Amino acid sequence: MTMASEATVDRAAVVDHVIDAVVAVLNRDSVQVTEQTRLMDELGLDSTNVLELLMHLEDRLDIMIDSDTLEQHHFESVGTLADYVLEQGLA
Amino acid sequence: MTTTREPFVRRLRTALLGTARTPLVFLGNFEVEQRWGGDELGLPRIALTAGDAMVNRMDEFALLLAGPDDYVVLKDRPDPEHLAYLEALGLALPHLLITDRQDPHHTVTQDALDSPALLARLSALAGVAALVPHGVSVDEEALAARTGVALAGSPAAVCKAVNGKIYSRRIATELGLRQSVGWTCETVEELDEAVEHARELLAAGRTVVLKDSYGVSGKGLLVIQDEARLGQIHRKLHRRADRSGDHRLALLVEEWVDKTIDLNYQFTVFRDGGVHFDFVKEAVTAGGVHKGHRMPAGLTSRQLAIVRQSAAVLGARLAQDGYLGVVGVDAMLDPEGGVYPVVEINARSNMSTYQIGLQEHLVPAGWSALARQYPLRVVQPMRFGEVRDALGPLLLSGAGEAGMVVQNFSTVNALVRAGTGPAEGRLYGFLIAPTAGELMAMDSEIADRLAAVTEGVRR
Repeated sequence: MTMASEATVDRAAVVDHVIDAVVAVLNRDSVQVTEQTRLMDELGLDSTNVLELLMHLEDRLDIMIDSDTLEQHHFESVGTLADYVLEQGLA
Repeated sequence: MTTTREPFVRRLRTALLGTARTPLVFLGNFEVEQRWGGDELGLPRIALTAGDAMVNRMDEFALLLAGPDDYVVLKDRPDPEHLAYLEALGLALPHLLITDRQDPHHTVTQDALDSPALLARLSALAGVAALVPHGVSVDEEALAARTGVALAGSPAAVCKAVNGKIYSRRIATELGLRQSVGWTCETVEELDEAVEHARELLAAGRTVVLKDSYGVSGKGLLVIQDEARLGQIHRKLHRRADRSGDHRLALLVEEWVDKTIDLNYQFTVFRDGGVHFDFVKEAVTAGGVHKGHRMPAGLTSRQLAIVRQSAAVLGARLAQDGYLGVVGVDAMLDPEGGVYPVVEINARSNMSTYQIGLQEHLVPAGWSALARQYPLRVVQPMRFGEVRDALGPLLLSGAGEAGMVVQNFSTVNALVRAGTGPAEGRLYGFLIAPTAGELMAMDSEIADRLAAVTEGVRR
């Protein structure tokens, strides 16, 4: 059983999950992804694969993301997407 | 002298207006699907505007489609060295109408509607010229109403209706054209049924794809390979419907078909219901990555006959539904060479449409051409002269020669101008060579030279 509200939320772990989800969507072995990696400018993520990215993230964190609450700036980088997950109390 | 690139524009005028004498005012409002599909319920959507500054500058493609008597509305003045280069190639360019101001996140039409001086210039063309947008949405209807310049083509409501992928699937079924197994979903209840069918396909080891009815070509797709993912998206769509109380949908569920080659063909529907087949092109991929379109497509006579026959019946059907103008159809070949003649109907201009002028004017008979985009890392806005110097002799110097024409230069600087830092740019090129082999070798050298420019900028 998870007690997310009481647990110390490990931001680094969320960042790692976001990185795993990004790598899964890109389906490229050679790509280097860090917390600072910019999702659109550097990796070319767009409206086509963002939905897939969110679904991978839902799988990994066992959460449900409401896409209506997401805005452009949340997709700035791996770090901003991890912060969104934390702000929403999803992890 | 009559240039060889005039025929398509003349034919377009006759198709739309019944006369080849009326000048056209072109508007490159790319990704018009965003306007058509704005209130349609497809796959969950995330409000991303990052790429639209690039898409909106694709307006410059219209420059090379219009004839010398026509007009082109642009969001910004083209690079003067690029214009001079095009003129030096002997291309007779149209009159330019530039918007008073531009917002990178607005289409050219939206900027035009916010440009009093341009609106006044357009109003002076009322009764003289006719508007030809990339695709007709309510924005282009508003521009026609504001300026009094007639809209050549069908009303926005007709264009929207015939551009839905649900419509494509229905008429392909009605006309007996081969297509993948699939189901249209206009309600959540229809989705429930389609999901059951999709589950069976997945259990049989097949792959499934969900498509937004109004997704832009190649976007708004979700490829699904396992039941867990299917259940996940099914629940998401249910949850949205339950929360809003709106059970409408505009989605397709289809089997993902193995393909070896993507095709794109175009025809024009005339006012009298006649249909003219314009061309078929083949998508070029390298390692699964889309690189552009090659022409001519290497089809057998049997494959070509299927494509032409499909164009004829689709055109006649669209005419019946009140559509008039250019139609591009995405099609494909399966691994056995069988044709899937209708994957998607785009009742609007297409990337390929904007290559016709160059083909007619610059490609010698029997030669090959390749239209593709090259990515560039742009630190600060670049001048056309920098690209010209980098390409050297690979830049086309005249009709009858081999080389590349820069088809759109504004997309190189679109994102760097819209943002605050280094950004990705796109250079759209049109390569011409005697053989397909020489074409691919030239492509590779151009990619290397452009990458070197980027490295130079970085240092």
